[in-house]
Amino acid sequence: MSAVQEALPAVRGSRDATVRRFALTDAIFHAVTRAAAILVLVLLGGVAISLFAGSWQALSTFGFSFVTSESWNPVTEKFGALAPIYGTIITSAIAILIAVPLGIGIAIFLTELCPRPLRRPIGMAVELLAGIPSIIYGIWGLFVLAPFLQTTVQPFIISVFHGIPGLNSLFAGPPYGIGLLTSAMILAIMVLPFITSITKDVFDTVPPVLKESAYGIGCTTWEVTRRVVIPYTRIGIMGGVMLGLGRALGETMAVTFVIGNAHRISTSLFAPATTISATIANEFTEAVGDLYTSSLVALGLILFVITFLILAIARYMLMRIDARTGA
Amino acid sequence: MSQMLSPDMTIAGEAAAKAKIEVKNLNFYYGQSKALKDITLSLPERSVTAFIGPSGCGKSTLLRVFNRIYELYPKQTAEGQVLLDGQNVLDRSQDLNLLRTKIGMVFQKPTPFPMSIYENIAFGVRLYEKISKAEMDGRVEQALKRAALWTEVKDKLNASGLSLSGGQQQRLCIARTVAVKPEVILLDEPASALDPLSTAKIEELIDELQADYTIVIVTHNMQQAARVSKQTAFMYLGELVEFDRTEKIFTSPREKRTQDYITGRFG
Amino acid sequence: MSTAASLHQSRKRRNGVMMTLCVAAAGIGLVWLALILGALLYKGLSGVSLSVFTEMTPPPGDAGGLLNAIYGSIVMTIIGIIVGTPIGVLAGTYMAEYGRFSKLTTVVRFINDILLSAPSIIIGLFVYELMVRPMGHFSAIAGAVALAILVIPVVVRTTEDMLNLVPNALREAGTAIGAPRWVVIRSVAYRAALSGIVTGILLAIARISGETAPLLFTALNNQFWSSNLNAPMASLPVTIFQFALSPYEEWQQLAWTGALIITLTVLALSIFARSLTGRREDK
Repeated sequence: MSAVQEALPAVRGSRDATVRRFALTDAIFHAVTRAAAILVLVLLGGVAISLFAGSWQALSTFGFSFVTSESWNPVTEKFGALAPIYGTIITSAIAILIAVPLGIGIAIFLTELCPRPLRRPIGMAVELLAGIPSIIYGIWGLFVLAPFLQTTVQPFIISVFHGIPGLNSLFAGPPYGIGLLTSAMILAIMVLPFITSITKDVFDTVPPVLKESAYGIGCTTWEVTRRVVIPYTRIGIMGGVMLGLGRALGETMAVTFVIGNAHRISTSLFAPATTISATIANEFTEAVGDLYTSSLVALGLILFVITFLILAIARYMLMRIDARTGA
Repeated sequence: MSQMLSPDMTIAGEAAAKAKIEVKNLNFYYGQSKALKDITLSLPERSVTAFIGPSGCGKSTLLRVFNRIYELYPKQTAEGQVLLDGQNVLDRSQDLNLLRTKIGMVFQKPTPFPMSIYENIAFGVRLYEKISKAEMDGRVEQALKRAALWTEVKDKLNASGLSLSGGQQQRLCIARTVAVKPEVILLDEPASALDPLSTAKIEELIDELQADYTIVIVTHNMQQAARVSKQTAFMYLGELVEFDRTEKIFTSPREKRTQDYITGRFG
Repeated sequence: MSTAASLHQSRKRRNGVMMTLCVAAAGIGLVWLALILGALLYKGLSGVSLSVFTEMTPPPGDAGGLLNAIYGSIVMTIIGIIVGTPIGVLAGTYMAEYGRFSKLTTVVRFINDILLSAPSIIIGLFVYELMVRPMGHFSAIAGAVALAILVIPVVVRTTEDMLNLVPNALREAGTAIGAPRWVVIRSVAYRAALSGIVTGILLAIARISGETAPLLFTALNNQFWSSNLNAPMASLPVTIFQFALSPYEEWQQLAWTGALIITLTVLALSIFARSLTGRREDK
């Protein structure tokens, strides 16, 4: 009989207590982690409920006209969200139009053309760009980009398109510097890193053998990208674009600096305007009266619903591409 | 007890050895698919039993039923009985942590914990025993000696377990298992990731350990099974085809399928 | 020349054009980054002096510093991290460990990803409704809670990802020795995933240290030194916002300097965070 066997009975006695203690602590830890996970759901639910409750007064007062009316008058307490909604959608749409081709171009550059030693640093620079707080973009836009556009680019464009029907109203003066287009450009710079890094990530999911076989039948780099890589990763790219869009729609500080905060819908891209988030940021602390505050919260609710849908679609698309690479 | 077993799965002439683990009508499912089909066998105490068979035959699955490690994952279920000293470990009332202190396990790839060599061993001991530092030092030394690792690591007990070579890591895992004083040690292809020299050391170790422990080893290496085990079970497609003394399995198997596998006709 | 050869030529030309455009895109991106950082350094550095770190924010038209704003940012960031990190780590732990195969995890992951990119101004509104309105006044603690809510999804995401990278074999080994699940998580999984989890926390700090929108109507701002958590508190981003939009030159200068401080902090945190995981990948 070995020492091992002799030692056992003594050990066993104290073990029963330990076993019970372990079962209890494990159950507690399990419950605590589960509660934390559920808290994440509660948070989002809480956001939805509180926004809905806060905006109830405005929504019940104005009804559906809240989203169709352009007037925003704190004095007469008539509030309509059309101008900020318009501004939000236009600035985000232009930002995406600028950022998507650039982002895909950079992703192609990083995966196909960039010399290997430069890939990591440039890729890292893109990621760092994504981490820079939006207020930095805002202050740069206000003090650097807007004056530059006001003194050089905008007068030039206005004079070029002057007298061309359609375009002359799209680019009508005077050149303020700040306004829809400037905001869109700042937003484009801000979402560019997101779109680039997600596109690059999904490009990396393309099986090398697929690209090799395309190169093997004599395709050029562009043809491989256009005919193989982009079709293969279409859903993922769309997901990245939607994620960037969600970002642009909700972006506050960068836009607040350069949008001009004017509650009107103007055909000119050079005109000052406003967005949902900029309106809230600018007016919330100064809002007098419950209806005014409630209307601002209602703006927040609209923004929440829009971004929720966009982000949900984005995540769904990215999940699909994840599932494929996982399989 | 032995009458309850199907007669063909009791090893002739070994009736005197006490059975440590008895498996009775064991079925195992991954979701809907049946991975073990009505397994019945009896493992004698303090001796080495090898499970062999082509990959996917269920030998590892059977091993993973003994300490119910499969329960870490969903949709895996076992039916039937696995008796450890006459007690069914598949009982719902069986405490899993306690079961695993009685049945230790060593895995295919070395799995040192991300801590020092000393802590790798003390970690398991400390779970169920309150002992002094001096006693713990003794336990660690004893376990490392048992695993034939002491002379190699005695001067660097505070080094990370990950700093050891693959073979040393695997012996550390054996030491860690031995330190908590189990009764049974399960070895799941313990040498398949190691070089021949380290493999030889592990096999030597298994040979020494069987004086104190009931050992079950899963291996795809038939020579290894022949070298280290006293009895061998040949499994195929989730069935236990043949279970007998190792020399019998390798010299005059009863079943044609065993014969085919041994001689390399498939698998 | 044969058609095949001319086709080849046109394809090559097309490829050249497209690839040039891609290089140009990368160039534009890098130039843009350089312009922003350049302006930030140029305008920000000229205002850097000791008084920035020793004096309070000045009244309009006066010289002063950013001390109370920097202090407020640090205080609220620390509280935000202290509150948000444990919740995030625990939720991530559930998703990667106990609940790895549960439906709840799939749902939480989806919702968490949405929370991760939700507009931060919405979080500000939420905390306003949740705390500021019932309490009747703005407060540093409300600001800190808003920041904590931004921390949670970042930490949840990285914790889950990093724990998922811990090999199952290690969990099985811990389990096989008789350790209960929570001991395996604490002593094995957390240790193996430590650098990754720390990276997530650092990235979360980087994220909230520049956040402005959620503080606007929670912590508001404060012209003076205040360490009262139950009162409005200044923060660097909100101060930058206020000063940059003002007509006073001294304020605008302080805004640039503050912006430089935030950017350098965020960049340093992000680089440090990435170097932590980068090192591990190299191993």
